[in-house]
Amino acid sequence: MENVVELKGVTKNFKGFSVENMNLEVKQGYITGFIGENGAGKSTTLKMIMNLLRPDAGEVNIFGMDYKQHEKEIKQRIGFVYDSNVFFEGLNVKDIKRIVAPAYKQWDDALFYRYVEQFELPLNKAIKTFSKGMQMKVSLAIALSHHAEFIIMDEPTAGLDPIFRRELLHLLQEIMEDGQRTIFFSTHITTDLDRIADYIALIQKGNLLFNHSIHEIEENYTLVKGSLDLLDRDTEQAFVHVHRTSTGFEALAKNVQNVEHTFGNDVVMERASLEDIMYYFKGGMQHA
Amino acid sequence: MLNLIRRDYILLKWQILIFIPFVLFFIFFGDHLDPAFIFLIASFYISFSTYTYDEKAETNRLLNSLPYTRKEIIASRYLGGMVHMIVAIAFTSALLFIFNKPYTVTDIAISSALFLVFASLFFPLFYVIKKGFFTPVVIISFLVISFIGPPIASFFANHVTAVTNFINNLSVPALYSGSVLVSMFIYAVSWGISVIIYERKAF
Repeated sequence: MENVVELKGVTKNFKGFSVENMNLEVKQGYITGFIGENGAGKSTTLKMIMNLLRPDAGEVNIFGMDYKQHEKEIKQRIGFVYDSNVFFEGLNVKDIKRIVAPAYKQWDDALFYRYVEQFELPLNKAIKTFSKGMQMKVSLAIALSHHAEFIIMDEPTAGLDPIFRRELLHLLQEIMEDGQRTIFFSTHITTDLDRIADYIALIQKGNLLFNHSIHEIEENYTLVKGSLDLLDRDTEQAFVHVHRTSTGFEALAKNVQNVEHTFGNDVVMERASLEDIMYYFKGGMQHA
Repeated sequence: MLNLIRRDYILLKWQILIFIPFVLFFIFFGDHLDPAFIFLIASFYISFSTYTYDEKAETNRLLNSLPYTRKEIIASRYLGGMVHMIVAIAFTSALLFIFNKPYTVTDIAISSALFLVFASLFFPLFYVIKKGFFTPVVIISFLVISFIGPPIASFFANHVTAVTNFINNLSVPALYSGSVLVSMFIYAVSWGISVIIYERKAF
């Protein structure tokens, strides 16, 4: 299976925050969701993938090429959607298209106007008068109109109403149908991903905790509930984190078989949602 | 890269309409002004109008996400600066001609040389100075240079006589073409500096 993105040992230091030695692969032909709390390093990682930010150490390869020698070839094949409008806000959609389209060799005007129609975008109104959802649709129409193989999105659903969020997710599934495209998108709304993502990468405090397929996550991670007397130093090893209450414990386990082996039928197991996983990886509530 | 220069004119669509009355204002109410000064102001008008867009962080994110290299983005700035200067000179000459105001090729040479020198100072600064501070810095330094520049120049002219003698001995065409060449050299150096600064930036 080919990787569209490969980060190898990527490190970027800021004052008080750093992305440490990150190794990340984004598989071709799938939707990978990139989750983590605010400030975990999602945007920093995306910026390094887009070469807006250069890592202090490590390698960034996109389509197997590096930015030093192949910046233009790489960017010809990427469509981007950011969390805020990056287009000249005083211009209308037509003028924005006139500026952006000539940059792409594979720009498809007919396709662009098809999306404009589908998204019901007014062509002659300044983009600053658009709602957030509409501005997002403009970005998306542009990202999709030059036959980009890789679509990268930074929090595309943030600030959108639930109906439009669903529409967007539906649309993303639609554009994945030819099997050639790859989508990588960051979000902290994990329910979006339950619906569409094939892979989930979780980042926390600048470290990539895992990058698994949805199936692996469903098969391996589980929420475990039981009484406190089952816990001791050895049995606790099975868990990512344990949350104790007066009535019992609730914990996240990485390996279902392990839990079955250790606790048998003494505990209750439930499917762990992405939100549960994020929560427990963070160490639950701090007093736990 | 030509697309990036063309972009300036799409962005300035409406501002270009203000450009003509702006130049006319100087032509009619600036009788005492040197035509070279009107050429210079006109050249700055177009170049700096586009900068107000590029000051925004979003614009840099956009340009750097599109298939352009950072070197090309800077190149479009500097080549664009020259294109804007030529456009401004063409428009201004036409207006001066229509309204029967005299000007000479010398005026154009002086204003081009001055524009290139000022632009060489301001373009790299643009990538260093924090957002929002650029316009005030440019206006203040432009005024300061205009005020203290001539006295400093005449001080040197009086005291460093070797240079003065050398310049006095040059023929007029040699002097003007020489100063245009020198200012183009400064412009090229400034271009190199801007590339170094811009390559290091994060967006």
